[in-house]
Amino acid sequence: MSTLKNTLIGYVSYRGREGHYSFLLHRLTGLGTLLFLTIHIIDMAWFYWAPDLFEEALQLYRSWPYLIGEIALVFAVYFHGINGLRIAIVDMFAPNKWTIAAERNAVRWTLVGSLILWLPSAAIMLSHAISASNEAAQMLDKLGIF
Amino acid sequence: MATRQVKISQNYETIAWKWMRYSAILLIPLVFGHVLLQDVIVGVYEINADYVARRLGTWFFQAYDIALLGFAFAHGVNGLRQVLRDFIHNPKTFRLVSIALFIFWAAITAYGGIAIVMAVNAKLASL
Repeated sequence: MSTLKNTLIGYVSYRGREGHYSFLLHRLTGLGTLLFLTIHIIDMAWFYWAPDLFEEALQLYRSWPYLIGEIALVFAVYFHGINGLRIAIVDMFAPNKWTIAAERNAVRWTLVGSLILWLPSAAIMLSHAISASNEAAQMLDKLGIF
Repeated sequence: MATRQVKISQNYETIAWKWMRYSAILLIPLVFGHVLLQDVIVGVYEINADYVARRLGTWFFQAYDIALLGFAFAHGVNGLRQVLRDFIHNPKTFRLVSIALFIFWAAITAYGGIAIVMAVNAKLASL
């Protein structure tokens, strides 16, 4: 257990700023995406193995707690993809850019790029959810927003 | 900056590392396309059994889904193995965990892969 504790303390207490935060975020987004992916492969496979369970899973996917998870998942996928691309490009084509200053700059651009992709995606997903939900649509009708 | 060339011998771990890198480059268009289409453009409220049947009825999406399953899940499970490397320092334990993860990966991939292939067969039989 001391290995677990020591490694986790190292993860939190190391003061590498941008490079360190992007390392942690890369791992968290990767593990989060893998957790969802495992569930997603199983429940989509129910289309063939268990059609009743497949319908139940789809109903669950349309609930509000899931929507929040789905919007977070989309950010995780965008960040993990763009950050991975940054690491691969620097590794393969510009190894002289592995300097602390250049990395800090690139990490900030990675975050900006993820947000530019994520914000409109999240807005569209939220609007799908609102128009699919009767209660929310009625409330917005009363307020005269739509 | 001075650079130094190092010869690295080919073994299981270097092949696994290259798989992570090359699958990642392929996964960017595959996964971003999948997320944009299914989560953002179509959305979960429009997805039902009928939609999945029509989607899997096309050769393009059948191939797309098999590629996603094959590359994304292998990338994810090997990534988990690399994270666990930070926590498990005993080589014997790590080897056992690697074998367990391999079985986990193979079982889930087979479960999903059979569903994709059989769904298409059922579709063809009903034509």
